[in-house]
Amino acid sequence: MMLPRLRTSNVPPTLTSCPAIRPQPLIHSPRISREFSQTSCQQATLRRRKFYEWLNGPGAALRHPLPGSTNYLGAYDRFGNLVRARPGWQRKQNAEAEAANTEGEVPKGGEGTPEAQEAVDELEMSVRREEEQKKTEGNQDEDKLPPETAEDLRPFPLNKYFRSQPVLSEELREAIYQRVARDGASVSLASVEFGVSNERVGAVVRLKQMEKEWIAEGKKLAAPYSKAVLEMLPTTPYIDPSRPENKGKRPITHEAINDLIVHPATRQQLFVPVSESRQFTRVDAGKAFDNNLLPADERIPHPELVLAERELVSGLSFQERKNLAEERIVKQQEKKKEEQRRREELKKVQTVSGRRWDFVFQDVSVENVGRDGRSPKGVGWRYGFPHEDRKKGQVKIPTKVEA
Amino acid sequence: MRKKPRFHSLKKLKVRQDWSRWTLYNLSRLTPPNVTTKTYFQQKWTAKSNTRAYHGEQIREKQWKRMFRRNLPAVVPMDHKYLARYDGSEQAAGRGAGADTQEKTRTSPMTPYMQMTYYPMERRLDSAIFRALFASSVRQARQFVVHGLVKVNGKKMIYPGYMLNPGDMFQVVPESVMFATGARKTQSSRARRMAERFAKARAEVLAQRTPTKIPSIKVSLLSGSTNTPSTTQSPTQPSPEQVKKSLQTLMEDVEGVLVEDIKAKDKQKLRSLRQTIKKAISVWKTGTEETISTLDSQLSFLKSRLVKQPTSSSSSSPADSEATLTKEEQTKLTQAFDRLKEAADYNANWNKRDPRKPYATPWRSRDYMPAFAFIPRYLEVNQNVCAAVYLRHPVARPGLSEVPTPFGVETGQLAFNWYLRRR
Repeated sequence: MMLPRLRTSNVPPTLTSCPAIRPQPLIHSPRISREFSQTSCQQATLRRRKFYEWLNGPGAALRHPLPGSTNYLGAYDRFGNLVRARPGWQRKQNAEAEAANTEGEVPKGGEGTPEAQEAVDELEMSVRREEEQKKTEGNQDEDKLPPETAEDLRPFPLNKYFRSQPVLSEELREAIYQRVARDGASVSLASVEFGVSNERVGAVVRLKQMEKEWIAEGKKLAAPYSKAVLEMLPTTPYIDPSRPENKGKRPITHEAINDLIVHPATRQQLFVPVSESRQFTRVDAGKAFDNNLLPADERIPHPELVLAERELVSGLSFQERKNLAEERIVKQQEKKKEEQRRREELKKVQTVSGRRWDFVFQDVSVENVGRDGRSPKGVGWRYGFPHEDRKKGQVKIPTKVEA
Repeated sequence: MRKKPRFHSLKKLKVRQDWSRWTLYNLSRLTPPNVTTKTYFQQKWTAKSNTRAYHGEQIREKQWKRMFRRNLPAVVPMDHKYLARYDGSEQAAGRGAGADTQEKTRTSPMTPYMQMTYYPMERRLDSAIFRALFASSVRQARQFVVHGLVKVNGKKMIYPGYMLNPGDMFQVVPESVMFATGARKTQSSRARRMAERFAKARAEVLAQRTPTKIPSIKVSLLSGSTNTPSTTQSPTQPSPEQVKKSLQTLMEDVEGVLVEDIKAKDKQKLRSLRQTIKKAISVWKTGTEETISTLDSQLSFLKSRLVKQPTSSSSSSPADSEATLTKEEQTKLTQAFDRLKEAADYNANWNKRDPRKPYATPWRSRDYMPAFAFIPRYLEVNQNVCAAVYLRHPVARPGLSEVPTPFGVETGQLAFNWYLRRR
């Protein structure tokens, strides 16, 4: 059974006893048992009856998307009532809902107040934002659903630790792409600005690029699919700062951008006796776990944010901080260039163009054969080493595909 | 020969990785594991069996055992402001001298490591396709891969067991995605029956209200057809919303009347009217194919249209009002027409009826899809091109795990313990 989520006002006269939702008539085969048959029993067993009872009763609400909202199992109670809906709420017909939807679309982007973005914890933030929304539009009209709580976003009611997290809306994707591709902002800068992780910014740009290429080639996009899916999912709206009604609002953070990966060395508990007089900092703690373990300030994806904050705390003026930040950026770019140059140099050395062929030199080492001497990276025919690639059970699935 | 067990059994409560009604029903029936009457071994066995029925049941047990990892990945979100202000020494400062904090610090929620047991499965290409909502089940995703409909980093990949690396982009042929996620096509005999029933019902309704409805519509339409040029040239400026609404309602009315039985002459008139309205819409439709590439170009295109149009009669409503409109109103107008154009375009180009397609057209999502529609955070999906990027391996974070599993923590823990191989 699903965990019973009950609200006293919502519990109806038992749905299952309602004559309208009687189980579907099933085909009764005239023969009761067919001794040598391989097909399974076609009779309507008790289980089957219950299955259809559930499908036509509480399960019927999950069949089609709920217009303007997500529609997960966790949002319903045992009797198929939407928990967050008001007692008088009724599911709309499609046409009506669409009309309401287009009207509701416009203010959606404008919600999310500055207070809502303060929180560090993502879950808390979303909950708070929803509360804010509730307050503002709580008494607007009867038909509109209140926004989902974290509990309503659970596709699996039993798993408390999984919920459907918002995806980027189309406008936000476009904005990120424009910021990186047109304005030439670096990935980390765009990441901080939009509250989207570094990898995701890169992926969004890559995918958007592909989409634009498709449009240019005249390929057909999966537009109806895209539209339908984005309506079913919770999305992070884009707050366009150029619009007048969005003045003073900060962008809604999509995800935590400074995630620190839990290092395997830190999984164990450690007792390190330290003298009282000693300043035992994060750096020392890292060393205690592992000699090569860097402190968190350097392992997070955005260490430049920590540096900037430190300068702010130390009381430097805006101009000084700006200069320092610029210096850092210049230094970083130089480093990158240097690396690029070195790589190209290496490449140059490795290929020598001859009269008819290029001579390519590769580093070869005896160590390449690996510990068991069977790695395909080793060169030459090794005495006593049989090739096994045609043997049964050899895995030939590639481990990587070059982009 | 022994009969193969049912894949979706009502007797054995197994949740499968697909979007079927059976799975949904089983999800609603799922209960926490029984720990009181079973031995520890039995508990672990049932937990393993139930979780494996969901996670990669298409993979042999031995393959999974090779994939299994004891180390489960996790992250902790850090606050850069805290890191900048404190160096960590304040947490232990003065402890030995008896300094102790009285107020309890807020503890962050538990990190659900035990829900991460099956995280290596999520790396597989077939399950990633399923998680990106490109297929309705893992088995279907697997079939897509095997049939060569999937590319990884632009190269065809035919191995469903390919382990995605962070940064890999995979794409599926959009037609197959639309087929997998779209509603099923009805059989022709059933469709015919439905159409007959529908026609009968409509005839009944028409018989009831023909005397009242048709004339009123006709009057409004006829007045509309004569008035369209005049109203647009009149100095009263219709707001963009009004323009849009009136055009749409006109179109609907015309179409509604055309299906009913009326005289041939009226029909002709109505058709011509429909043509003019369509033209008004299509002015905004033409030429967008090339210019749609960016939003900017699209906007500029619309603006140029606005400037060019003032003399033409078909779409004169926005054009001649433009002369007197302020900039703000103008942008509103363009937006309204944009939306109008989008809707018209959408229905005409993207989602039209096409009997050759293997799915029901116009496309709509299949039954029970919304209950399963979620995209975990380790994927970034672009639905327009049916492509996705595998950003990183799934991780656990305080209060959240990224591996979608329908089971509770207890079950996850028992299954994890089973694979630790100390039983």
